[in-house]
Amino acid sequence: MADSVRTQGLFKRFGQQVAVGGVDLVVPKGSFAGLVGPNGAGKTTTLSMITGLLRPDGGLIEVEGVNVWRDPVLVKSRIGVLPEGLRLFERLSGRELLAYNGQLRGIPRDEVARRAEELLTVMDLLDSADKLVVDYSTGMRKKIGLAAALLHNPAVLFLDEPFEGVDPVSANTLVEVLRRYTASGSTVIFSSHVMDLVERLCDWVSVMSRGQIVAQGPLAEVRGERSLNQAFLDLVGAGRDSGEGEGLAWLGSTSA
Amino acid sequence: MAGLDLGVTRQAGQAFTPLGAAETFRLFVRLKLRLVAGNVRGDTARKLGFAFTLIVAAGVAVLGFVLLALLRIVPDRAVAADLGVVVFTVFLLGWTVVPLLAFGLDDTLDPAKLALLPLRTRQLMIGMFAGSVTGPWPLASLVIMAGAVIGLPGGVGGVLLGVVAVVLQFALCVVVSRLVTTSLSGVLRSRRGRDLLAVGMVFVVLAAQLPNLLVNRGVDGDLGAVLHDTAAVLRWTPPGMAAHAITDGGLVAVAELVFLALLVAGLAWLWIVALRAALVRPDASTQAATVRRTRGRGLAGLLPDGPLAAVVTKELKYARREPRGRVGWMAAVGVTVLLSFSFGGDDGPGGAFAAIGPAALGALMVGMQACNSFGIDGRSLWMNAVVHGSPRALRTDLAGRHLAVALIAVPLLTALAVISAVLAGDPLSAVPGALTAYGVLGVTLGTGAVTSVVFPYTVPERMNAFTGAAPGQGGIAFAGSFGAMIASGVLVLPVALPVLLGISWLSVLAVPYGAAVAWAGRRLGADLGYARLPDILEAVSKPS
Repeated sequence: MADSVRTQGLFKRFGQQVAVGGVDLVVPKGSFAGLVGPNGAGKTTTLSMITGLLRPDGGLIEVEGVNVWRDPVLVKSRIGVLPEGLRLFERLSGRELLAYNGQLRGIPRDEVARRAEELLTVMDLLDSADKLVVDYSTGMRKKIGLAAALLHNPAVLFLDEPFEGVDPVSANTLVEVLRRYTASGSTVIFSSHVMDLVERLCDWVSVMSRGQIVAQGPLAEVRGERSLNQAFLDLVGAGRDSGEGEGLAWLGSTSA
Repeated sequence: MAGLDLGVTRQAGQAFTPLGAAETFRLFVRLKLRLVAGNVRGDTARKLGFAFTLIVAAGVAVLGFVLLALLRIVPDRAVAADLGVVVFTVFLLGWTVVPLLAFGLDDTLDPAKLALLPLRTRQLMIGMFAGSVTGPWPLASLVIMAGAVIGLPGGVGGVLLGVVAVVLQFALCVVVSRLVTTSLSGVLRSRRGRDLLAVGMVFVVLAAQLPNLLVNRGVDGDLGAVLHDTAAVLRWTPPGMAAHAITDGGLVAVAELVFLALLVAGLAWLWIVALRAALVRPDASTQAATVRRTRGRGLAGLLPDGPLAAVVTKELKYARREPRGRVGWMAAVGVTVLLSFSFGGDDGPGGAFAAIGPAALGALMVGMQACNSFGIDGRSLWMNAVVHGSPRALRTDLAGRHLAVALIAVPLLTALAVISAVLAGDPLSAVPGALTAYGVLGVTLGTGAVTSVVFPYTVPERMNAFTGAAPGQGGIAFAGSFGAMIASGVLVLPVALPVLLGISWLSVLAVPYGAAVAWAGRRLGADLGYARLPDILEAVSKPS
């Protein structure tokens, strides 16, 4: 199985702090991959560097066999991105946002309109298509962001926390679209710290902790006999003491 | 809920006794100081900025105090009294307007942030009062107003009552300012309200220039009479009464202060009512249903399909819909009109300058908006960054932005050229005027393309009248706009100077020259900028 995304010794520091310290990420082609890790593990920094939005201090990045920082045109035309924080052009309507994104990528106007209409329908955004993005709810913003990322039919899709703050109905829509997308052989890489979701969706998992990959491989291998949540807690070294007998004696309704 | 007793809601543990007034006051002063400290921690630029603010505030406080105290040596006591009345009124106006324009600078101002704490309305009020009097500027204004106690009174009674009057005036300022922000806080939290306020700000800034302009135009100099007439009216406003009470120092003063005290109490009560309402009012910002149908393809529809048309369409929409875009345009036009008026004055340079100058100046002002092209895109610039794979793509992006600016600016500058030519009594000079203006616009856009990539900075989403850049980026913003201004000024000389000196046929060359500079600027900007794209993205995405 060829690799869709491969990094070697990826490194980034902000001032004194090493955010990403030598990440060797591997994601096989056609997989639905989860990048999991606690807050501050370096997931967003890693994804930003792979998608060319942040300059790495060192290391190699290949997407579909092409070096990201050497041939950006080719790479950028083949990836779709949904960054964290829902940063979108707020003062465009959903439909205008898709039109802008498609035309910027050089897709003919009529083709953009056709694809946008279908995406809006699938994402259940038709009613709000002419509202300004600034007035969208979190779920709607994630959906329009995903639609924009899919518009040019990329080979690889990078999603940073796509399900954060999304209601179950919208989340279900997102999942349906993504499943259909990977079924055709395209690759999805998304970061999350919702283990149940990763366990349900992904066939490949990379676990990050403190700027490094601590485990990586097919879901079944990484998880072993445990639940993914337990495997994750073991891997990132979270303490198993539940804090009993260490203070908090006043907490709860029996103490008075 | 503000009104609930702790003892009622707690089932376990003991009920805590609520804090007293003095304790609440101290608690909120400490909270405010913590917020200020937290805001500057770990950021040298912010620390320097805050130290600078402290120094300026202290300087202004001392200067204002001394100036007001010096009213003592004004021989004409009536003039001193009039000045006192006007100054006190200006302070109240300042306290009312400034926090509105700067809303968001201060976490203690928004009652919604405290809504979940079990505070009684009274505690909340004391707390917010404490929060809003803690800070360099409130203290500075108290110190300045205290100067009136030295400057205005005619006797011992005036001094004694003066202390009371200053305290009441300060309380009035604070309560009015709180009342206004609290009653508007619902509106201010909604998008439309903030949009409206951002645009309104331009008018306030321009209105502040009005007196200056009037004096420049020479409203026949009897300032004394103007002052007297103004003060005669303002004297009956509450701040006017406070100032008058200090001057008077007698029984009338006592009556005025009693009225003032009652007024402050009344306003405080209104404030409580507004506060109660604000705490339980739903947040209206998510209910804004703005459905806009896309009509046709507009001007950009005439362009060949592709990235250029995409950028032009988007930029034209942004100039209309984004408050920061609208503010930029309105400020550019407003400043131009103001400056042209000053030029047109008796002592301004006349002739070709009066006819051609305003349009050229307008072009410079409009072009300056492009000296930080990516600033308004801000964090959403990633959407362009994940597409641009070569300097060429970035060049198209810049060209689209320039085209959009030109589409709005050219009719505007043409109108400006015609109007100023007619006003100068030389309608024919509209032609060289307009041509020169187009040339100047091209030059400023060209230099702007370079400064946009060399000195990019974040334009804060929450506009406020006092800074145009995110915290810590003021220096870069200054370097960018100043650099663009100087470079444009120098590059513009070859065409603008001969035309202004009267060789108007040379204006024929202005347009090709401007277009050439704009092209070169885009080329250089794109080559420099493509290599710096991630850095630009970071620079325009600062939290603000």
